[in-house]
Amino acid sequence: MADEATRRAVSQIPLLKTHAGPRDRALWPQRLKEEYQALIHFVEQNKAADNDWFRLESNADGTRWTGTCWFIHELLRYEFRLEFDVPVTYPDTAPEVAVPELDGKTAKMYRGGKICLTEHFAPLWARNAPRFGLAHLMALGLGPWLAVEVPDLISKGHVIHKEQQREAAAE
Amino acid sequence: MAADWEEIRRLAADFQRAQFADTVQRLSERNCIEIISKLVQDKKLEVVHTLDGKEYITPAQISREIRDELYVHGGRINIVDLQQIINVDWVHVENRASDIAKSDKGVQLVLGQLIDDTYLDRLAEEVNDKLQEAGLISIAELCKNYDLPGDFLTEELSKRLGKLIQGEMDQYNRGVIFTPAFVARHKARIRGLFSSITRPTPVSSMIGAFGFQEHLLYSVLEELVNTGRLKGSVVGGRQDKAVYIPDIYAKTQNTWVDSFLQQNGYLEFDALVRLGIPDPSSYIKKRFKSNKLLFLRAACVGQTLVDQVEASVEEAVNSSTWTDIQPILPSCLSMEDVGMLISQAMRNTNVQSSARVLGGTVVVSEKFISNCLSVFDEAMQQKAQKEVKNNPVFLISEDDMKQASILTESSALSKKEKREAERRKKATEGSGSVKTGGGGNAREIRIRKTKKKGRKDEDSDEDTGPSQQNRSKQTAAVFMTQEEVVAVLEERVSDCPEEILSELAERLVRPLSKAYQEVLRTVFMSSTNSPSGANKKKSMKDLQEEIANLYNNIRLFEKGTKFFSDETQVHIAKHVLKTLCTDVTNILVNFLAADLMMSVENPSTISNEVRVKILGKLSEETKGPLMKLHNCLNGKTIEDFLTNIEGCAEVCGFMLKKGDKKKERQALFLHRQALTEQLKETEDPALVLHLTSVLLFQASTHCMLHAPGRCVPQIIGTLTGRIPTEQQQQLSAYQSLVVKQLVSQSQSRKQEDAEDQDEAEEQDEEAGSVRTQLVALMPQIKDLVLSQKKTAGTED
Repeated sequence: MADEATRRAVSQIPLLKTHAGPRDRALWPQRLKEEYQALIHFVEQNKAADNDWFRLESNADGTRWTGTCWFIHELLRYEFRLEFDVPVTYPDTAPEVAVPELDGKTAKMYRGGKICLTEHFAPLWARNAPRFGLAHLMALGLGPWLAVEVPDLISKGHVIHKEQQREAAAE
Repeated sequence: MAADWEEIRRLAADFQRAQFADTVQRLSERNCIEIISKLVQDKKLEVVHTLDGKEYITPAQISREIRDELYVHGGRINIVDLQQIINVDWVHVENRASDIAKSDKGVQLVLGQLIDDTYLDRLAEEVNDKLQEAGLISIAELCKNYDLPGDFLTEELSKRLGKLIQGEMDQYNRGVIFTPAFVARHKARIRGLFSSITRPTPVSSMIGAFGFQEHLLYSVLEELVNTGRLKGSVVGGRQDKAVYIPDIYAKTQNTWVDSFLQQNGYLEFDALVRLGIPDPSSYIKKRFKSNKLLFLRAACVGQTLVDQVEASVEEAVNSSTWTDIQPILPSCLSMEDVGMLISQAMRNTNVQSSARVLGGTVVVSEKFISNCLSVFDEAMQQKAQKEVKNNPVFLISEDDMKQASILTESSALSKKEKREAERRKKATEGSGSVKTGGGGNAREIRIRKTKKKGRKDEDSDEDTGPSQQNRSKQTAAVFMTQEEVVAVLEERVSDCPEEILSELAERLVRPLSKAYQEVLRTVFMSSTNSPSGANKKKSMKDLQEEIANLYNNIRLFEKGTKFFSDETQVHIAKHVLKTLCTDVTNILVNFLAADLMMSVENPSTISNEVRVKILGKLSEETKGPLMKLHNCLNGKTIEDFLTNIEGCAEVCGFMLKKGDKKKERQALFLHRQALTEQLKETEDPALVLHLTSVLLFQASTHCMLHAPGRCVPQIIGTLTGRIPTEQQQQLSAYQSLVVKQLVSQSQSRKQEDAEDQDEAEEQDEEAGSVRTQLVALMPQIKDLVLSQKKTAGTED
């Protein structure tokens, strides 16, 4: 699953040290701090490589995250909303990322738009818990998923570019 | 804790800031590729990307690199290698390469390889080196070595011939290059070799033996022959079959053929083939166009020989003889050819209808054959008459009795019958009777002899049984077998080869047997008429007398038997029945048979079977009594026979008078006379004893006796008391001596087998003494009767 580039990217994301979930009042802030630092590092790194592909934002206590992600195909940019909750068993369990816009359009997705990552990602995560964080989730989970699914959905016509959609609507 | 959350908030803000910071505007590799591909697509830029996609390269650079590589590789490089080296798509490499080949005269594209002139020059130099070394180089070999197409090499090398390569190319076969020196050497060898040839020689074998270059050899040979340096010719073109024939050989061959034909008048194809002329007949036709030669299967023959044959055939026909062509023909001609030649000659002389070819080589005129037929005429006539006389019974079958003219021959006397006839004859002789014996005998033997040959093959059939014998076979009367005909011809036609005779005989047998049947028929017709006509009365009379005579004799003999005991009586009666009675019966039967045209010349030859057969054909009224009579012959008493014969005689129309005293006495006298005559002549002791005793018996009892030899002791026994004891003693002494001799004879025969020397000698001595005694006694014994005869005669 992980190609050479991803591997390199992941290796540059700093690993996390604190083993704490949202329930753990004492250590969760510590963990959250580390999460933020990792994310910042990952985003900066992406930007430096002209490979920026998502925006993320969390609520105050860092248990629910929302944002957007996009994918460029045939010189067109397809943008999707994304959201996920940090589960109470985190970091032993990976958060389930959802892309509600694509709900029902692909088989590799659970009800509610939760992307289906179990096959490769879950074992990887389990092996690396608790050192993997949200940055890893994005890099190793959502990124590859989008790279595989979106071109497929576009070719099938399930996903249409917004501008074209508009043009079509205008017509 | 609060500080922590503070820090988190700060970090979240930092995160947002980081996210919204401008991304560095940098052309990524992907973008670059996109831009370039866009430019290429718009034809604003002409580049080619390498296979690994890392580099772009311009076509000009490709061309330059190709040239560089070509130079590096010594002027020859494969496009496949180029493509790997330059690492761009195959299509671009090939396009550029062909462009270069097109634009640059010094570079060529051959078999996907770029080759420039420097390489070819170097190649030519190499070839030249090799050529100077070997004298000859074949393009094919070069092709293999340099892995280049032959046409290309030939073209390139021929361009450089004379410049870089010191040599020349065979103008017939462009696949070889050789040096002038090599050619000269070769030429010299060929000239020498073929000059020395005196016989036709296959060129291919020369190539094999001396290792010539085939193409070079042919061209040189042709040149030498054409310029007249070699006296000869090459037959068979430039193939394996090509044969060099030197003029000198052809000349001697022709002279041989000419002289052979002149001397012998023929030519054998085989001989020509042996000389090495492959198609003799066409060769002869070509060579002797003007001569008229007769072509046969395996030879051809000159006019003189044909004339000779014609002349001898004509002569044979004109002189109505035969001639054997074989001696005047060459011995090598096959039978088939001889036949062709003879038939040709016969056609030429127009004698096909009046001559025949026998045995393949002998010409026989038809006249000669008909002459041969006439040779047999006389013999045929004789034989037919004999046949008709002897056994007409066998000429007539039951089926065609009424059609007497149709002749058949049934299976004649079988071996068994012959044996019987012989036995009966012996008996008659033994009895001393003066019946029809001698003459008939001799004839019978002769008949048998002549018939034997003809019936050799039938004998086996006859032996199978009497039932078959009675069934007549519808076979044509055979005149002579082929061997007999050959034998006769051999006598008449001298110096004829055996096989010709047999063939001639084969040809003659059929017409002869046909003619013979014709003759037989006419003879038979004439002969059946004659005896039944004028002679009949006379013969009737004779027969009656003869029968009466025999009848009386039988009665007298019967009387004689009465003096003996029952057992001896039976013996004597049987003997009488077998001899005299059978004769009488035969005479009667033959007489009746004569009416049916089946009579036999000699009645005594009629055997039991024949008699039965004839009887079977007789009419009912005569058949009955005669059948009875016939049966009596196998009986035991003479009385039965006597009663029967009276009846039979009546049926047949004969009168049987019972003899009166006077006649009886006459018969007695005649009988005695006959016996004494016989006695006087005989020297056989046993017969002397037999006759003496019978005569003594007659003298003493006045009764005739006809007894077999084995009854002699009984006869002597009855004589006891009727003759003087002195005579009796003499007789018995003689008898014992005779018995001794007979015994010793049979013994010595046995001892010969045993080979007991001493005893044999002893026996010999004894036999010798007995013989001398017998000889001494014989006149005395004879005297007994001969002297008494006188006294008896006076008594009577």
